[in-house]
Amino acid sequence: MKNSFISKQFISLASVIFLLAVWKILALHFNSDFILPPPEKTFITTLGLFGNSHFLAIVGSTVLRGLIGFIISCILGLGLGIIAGISPDFSAFLRPILVVTRSTPVIALILLALIWLSPGLVPVFIAMLTMFPFICTNVIDGIKSVDPDLVGMATFYRISQRRIIREVYIPAILPFIISGASSAMGIGWRAVITGEVLSQPQYGIGTVMQGAQTFLNVDAVIAWTILAVLISFGFEKAIRWCERKLILWRS
Amino acid sequence: MNLEIKNLYKKYDGNTIFKDFSIGFPEGTITCILGPSGCGKTTLLNIIGNMLKPDRGTLTGFDSKAASYIFQDPRLLPWKTVEDNILFVINKELPEEERRRKADQFIRLVDLEEFAKYYPSKLSGGMRQRVSIARAFAFPSDIILMDEPLNGLDIKLKLNLIRIFSLIWQADKRTVIFVTHDVDEALLLGNQIVVLSQAPVQIIKHEKVEAPVTNRSLDADNFKDLKKRLMDALGN
Repeated sequence: MKNSFISKQFISLASVIFLLAVWKILALHFNSDFILPPPEKTFITTLGLFGNSHFLAIVGSTVLRGLIGFIISCILGLGLGIIAGISPDFSAFLRPILVVTRSTPVIALILLALIWLSPGLVPVFIAMLTMFPFICTNVIDGIKSVDPDLVGMATFYRISQRRIIREVYIPAILPFIISGASSAMGIGWRAVITGEVLSQPQYGIGTVMQGAQTFLNVDAVIAWTILAVLISFGFEKAIRWCERKLILWRS
Repeated sequence: MNLEIKNLYKKYDGNTIFKDFSIGFPEGTITCILGPSGCGKTTLLNIIGNMLKPDRGTLTGFDSKAASYIFQDPRLLPWKTVEDNILFVINKELPEEERRRKADQFIRLVDLEEFAKYYPSKLSGGMRQRVSIARAFAFPSDIILMDEPLNGLDIKLKLNLIRIFSLIWQADKRTVIFVTHDVDEALLLGNQIVVLSQAPVQIIKHEKVEAPVTNRSLDADNFKDLKKRLMDALGN
């Protein structure tokens, strides 16, 4: 087991090295920082970002927007998802809304939001709209997956409705909530940054990326991208960590 | 007072399962109900357990009684440890200390003290069913309903579970209604054994077994005789 774990890590590392090698070869081929700067130069630029006087404001604003959008979509998704999971009528009502929000191109939502909202709010709104359907759908699926036999057992042993919700339903749907949160986050960060690129709030990773692109600072565009990937990766890890702590009983 | 069902009528999916059916359960004894699969044994338990309403008929003596249920599959909450699964059915209004003491007591009775902090996924099928037995006794019930809880377990595990069950019951004689299609299980546990027919259900045999439930052997001569009579009644 341990061996296969190590060899998997080794393969992942090989894949990263492969990407870097392709990047380096392409950079040598184009031989222009305006098209593709070499990885080592970009790496130094990435480190340099931390020295940017507005670094915290920029990263903090983006993370905050993502989190606010995430929290709102969690509250909405949980609330509406639980009602839809219990009531088939409400589920039928909600389904088309979820399908429409999920299949609308993010860019269309952004263009509309640009007309309706202030620049700082656009990314939050977009994050919320892209994440909500994932969380909501997973909560509905989770409630439907609750084993009726367990609910029957609890009812037979005269457990109160409130305890059945807390001790049977919630733990049963928790894995679904977490997996919904994970896919939501994955897509949410991209949506937030796309929103920032177009709405240009004062601070935000998308804002600085757009600025860098305008001046053909390709290394800066890639450096901010790397940072965005790291943030997304960090949150994914955090969710997995929560999963391990909360779902000890699985496996 | 005995628990009694009189003139029970029940249709299920258009099929008549019970038609003017009556049966009694002496309190503080184990009644085993034998019958071919699909004859309506589970339906009978569900009517007794108040999970299903009879079309007609009277149930006397059940009203004021609480029941535990040992299901065919153990129905443990996968996110609760053995201990918490048992605590789940123990009255929340009792002081925490007393609840834990009670849970521990029943965990010990089913020989699972080493596994109290385990999740059900880490236990074998037989161990899970032991938790289910402990839960049934930990719940302050007067009646214990059992729906083929030994199904799918090998003979050694079956005997072990029957031994554990009979020992706990000997010290805490609740009224047990045990549904099974396995004659041996009925012989080992029943104070009386009732054989049911195919639907519409009738009682085709009613036997009393005098030997104490904690000390029975299937090899005894009187058991072989009884077994033959029961098998004949079941038609195999």
